[in-house]
Amino acid sequence: MRFFLVVIFFCIQIQAQDYYVYVAAESDDTVSLIKFNETETKEVDRFEVGYLPTEIEGPHGITVDPNGKFWYLSLAHGNPFGKLIKYSTKNNKPIDQTTLGLFPASMQISSVTGLLYCVNFNLHGDMKPSSVSVVDPETMTEIKRIKIGTMPHGSRLSYDGLKQYSVSMMSSELYEIDAISLKVSRKLSLDNKMSMDASMNKKMKMDESMKKKMKMNEMSHSKVKPTWVIPHPSKNIAYVAGNGSNEIIEVDLKNWKITNRISTGKGPYNVEISPDGKFLVATLKSEGTTAIWDLKNDFKSKIIKNTTSVTHGIAISSDSKYAFVSVEGIGGEPGVVDVISLKKLEKISSVNIGKQAGGIAFWKIEN
Amino acid sequence: MKKTILTLFFSCFILTLYSQNKTIISDLDGLTLNIGETFTPNTYVSNSDGLKSNCSNIIYYNKKGVFSSATSISVDTENGSIKANDPGTHEVVAICIGEGGKRHSRTFEVFVNYPKIKKVTLKLDDNSTYIGNYIPLIYEITDELNVTRTIDYWSTDIASKYFSKVSFSIKALNDKINIDNSNNILAVKNGISTIEADFDGIKGSINVNVLKNPTSKIELVSNNENAKTGDVIQFKALAYDKKGKVIENIPVEFSFTGKSFDKSNTASGLILQDGRFVGDVAGKYVVSARIGNISASKVVNIFKRNVKREMNTVGTGLVNDKHTSDFWVFEGVDGNDYAVTGTWGADGTSYFWDVTEPSNIKKIDSVQVDARTVNDVKVSSDGKICVISREGASNRKNGIIIIDVSNPYDVSIISEYTKNLTGGVHNIFIYQNHVYALSNGERYYIINIEDPKNPYEVGMFEIGKEGQSIHDVWIENGIAYSSNWRDGVYLVDVGGGSVGGSPSNPVAFGNYSYDSGAHHATYPFKSKSTGKFYTVLGDEIFPKGVNASGPSETAGFLHFVDFTDLNNPKEVARYEVPSHGSHNYWIEDDVLYVAMYTGGVRVVDISGDLLGDLYKQDREIGYILPSSPNGYIPNDTMVWGAQLYKGHVFYSDFNTGIGAAKVDSIKPDNSKANKHLD
Repeated sequence: MRFFLVVIFFCIQIQAQDYYVYVAAESDDTVSLIKFNETETKEVDRFEVGYLPTEIEGPHGITVDPNGKFWYLSLAHGNPFGKLIKYSTKNNKPIDQTTLGLFPASMQISSVTGLLYCVNFNLHGDMKPSSVSVVDPETMTEIKRIKIGTMPHGSRLSYDGLKQYSVSMMSSELYEIDAISLKVSRKLSLDNKMSMDASMNKKMKMDESMKKKMKMNEMSHSKVKPTWVIPHPSKNIAYVAGNGSNEIIEVDLKNWKITNRISTGKGPYNVEISPDGKFLVATLKSEGTTAIWDLKNDFKSKIIKNTTSVTHGIAISSDSKYAFVSVEGIGGEPGVVDVISLKKLEKISSVNIGKQAGGIAFWKIEN
Repeated sequence: MKKTILTLFFSCFILTLYSQNKTIISDLDGLTLNIGETFTPNTYVSNSDGLKSNCSNIIYYNKKGVFSSATSISVDTENGSIKANDPGTHEVVAICIGEGGKRHSRTFEVFVNYPKIKKVTLKLDDNSTYIGNYIPLIYEITDELNVTRTIDYWSTDIASKYFSKVSFSIKALNDKINIDNSNNILAVKNGISTIEADFDGIKGSINVNVLKNPTSKIELVSNNENAKTGDVIQFKALAYDKKGKVIENIPVEFSFTGKSFDKSNTASGLILQDGRFVGDVAGKYVVSARIGNISASKVVNIFKRNVKREMNTVGTGLVNDKHTSDFWVFEGVDGNDYAVTGTWGADGTSYFWDVTEPSNIKKIDSVQVDARTVNDVKVSSDGKICVISREGASNRKNGIIIIDVSNPYDVSIISEYTKNLTGGVHNIFIYQNHVYALSNGERYYIINIEDPKNPYEVGMFEIGKEGQSIHDVWIENGIAYSSNWRDGVYLVDVGGGSVGGSPSNPVAFGNYSYDSGAHHATYPFKSKSTGKFYTVLGDEIFPKGVNASGPSETAGFLHFVDFTDLNNPKEVARYEVPSHGSHNYWIEDDVLYVAMYTGGVRVVDISGDLLGDLYKQDREIGYILPSSPNGYIPNDTMVWGAQLYKGHVFYSDFNTGIGAAKVDSIKPDNSKANKHLD
């Protein structure tokens, strides 16, 4: 009898599971549902999104709500404001929509408030402060627009659902929003001003007017160009992708200060942490690779070449076993989803989807 | 066993407790506020047993969202209060975050009292009227907050909404005036009467002088008795008194009845109160002019317009591995004829074609750039420079590409220009060595390309509104016509207007917008036959959005706006094909060539004065429905644009590429198709 139970237990352990991921193709106005059975990856379905068949509306950000019943998609381009669309995971049909700000991008839903927090990237407009739109997904009402820095991106919530974090790419700031009072609680400059000033001073002697000019330039054009922030699942730490400075910036959330800068390859763009807190995964957009750091092993890193170029987003399975990475490609190339085993630290599968694969969200695991 | 039963029992009990329905209770329920009043709600959660639990946090919001309409009730999230700003019923949502992060929410209706009416004023354009006339009364209602609502005689739809919210009555103080159950006011007897209206107990009145009708006879004259459908006939009513003297400036009411020649059809037309009449359907029409109880009529015959001609496709250049977007046909420097087409949602390719023989369209070269969509393509008037727009560039810089097309068989990229155009360029226009390029669908930049290797920005135009949006720009005679969706067309002087504009200093001097807000393209049109100046404003509407399983429905039409008086533009006519929406179009010699998306290419006679529904008026000369079994979507018509070039109607089609059609001078021969008809 005991032997029989052991066999059953063993069988359950080795039985492959199916992992489902939604991914948006920004230049095809499509979203694909991807299934990975731990061996191969298939595009289960591809559905058209948007409202204007002859305009590219640019599906950019995508998220699945904590109960897995709905997924949400931001359409970057509108007249001029973008939209947030709510879909059912049952049939992938649109249920409701609301208008957000300019170029709504990444977003997440708080498990506590049930509200969705979406950054209005305003990627192509004038360099001016943009906002986080707070939406009640039940009524699909944008209930508040909270002003933050220039070109905000990478909306992620703390694991307790009480704080929302985003970074402002052109003003180089990390913002923390209280998810309940819906107000900015803290902001942190991410620029490495000290080291920059020191190195510049060494190289050239600057008079005061030149220094003043330099400072003004710093204000308007960040060198760091942060594009993403992810809070750690169990520690008071967040990691920021410094897209312009080629680094991951570690921020102590308790003391609200930068504690480390980790050099990376070119153009870190999105960054996520596995739910078990072991791996930090970043897409290196400019070199078409994905970088993985072992957070429990002294930041030991591994670089994995992606299938094509322009690596974009990351979704990590809830069991921390796999990272699903979207790769945009160029021109007419198809978008790609690469599956990376976090155990083997290698790419184990990939699948083609629509052009310019971008926003990606993990949905569920099925036996 | 006993233990198991007890465990099960307790488990069920706990589950029952958890599954009890919880409701938010709040004194928002049934709340009525006055404008300006602030209220701090008291909200908690109650389960079905009435047990109360407090919310650890509560978020309130106005269900209309953050846009301007949401100011009706504003919410202070910090201290949890709401403030009433606008009258009416508003929805406020309370989100209660209970212990352990359980979220509950409920919507409450909050009524904000309408401010009391302070003053009612009744107005008439003319206080004198004649027996037998209806009186077009205008109501002006001012409330305690000094907001004045004007209810115009012709706005019964708007008035009915307001009237349902207030106690309203109206009466005449003597029998000179009759008021029917629908509150229409008719002058019936000679003498002075007073009309009194009561809104919520506040009265307003006006004296009306009902005159005996001095008219003993009306002579109704027109400039035509036998016209064609769509022809505008000008009627004039001359009123004479008993002595046979003409009465000047007496108001006349025009109307018509009619009967179609075709018994299965309905007579249809339009008459304006300035006496202009147009018949849509061939038939006999009786036009009447009435002054009080005196009237005169005149019969006019409206015959078929008879403009239909044979129209046939003469050649096509198939693109079936990707969608085709816009196109431009031009004369090359060698005197031959060429075209360029863009592609949509693909790989950034543009194709070049030799169309010298429209029946033998040849693909001769292509250019591929880092983009997914080349939405628009234009060629300079000298045939040397082509500019294409980019969307979906991998580096997200987009912008425009300038191409040397002096040898269309071997085109080459001269330069790329991306400054301020990173958001994607949807449409462009080339005019006098300048490119007008849309940026991010918000504004357009003006770029000097005298040296195409070194383009530079000289100017920018935007309407400067929050939420400004633009779809297209077209330049003619130094005036840029931008199509700004809900903000309509803007006429901007870039060197040809009269307000001192230039490419480096674009100055807006005219604007017209319409209710649907779907304004997508503009074509300026000076009528050869009448000298009138119109802007033809096109909609772009997909009423059901994207149809993932087949062709998408299209809607919308062309609005003809008489812009002869720049300060007083008037929308006078429309061209609407049932079930097919408008896209891009071209006008030459009073003929419209329009791509109606799913409705194909339509050629329409727009000569003469334009009034009413041009489609109904049988002005259509011909049409084709391009499609191909080998198309990107097989057998699906989706025409993007049309251009008349050297006598041929060229078009681009989303699914098949480029084509050319010819309108013949002969009428269509339907004798074989309709043998049963005479």
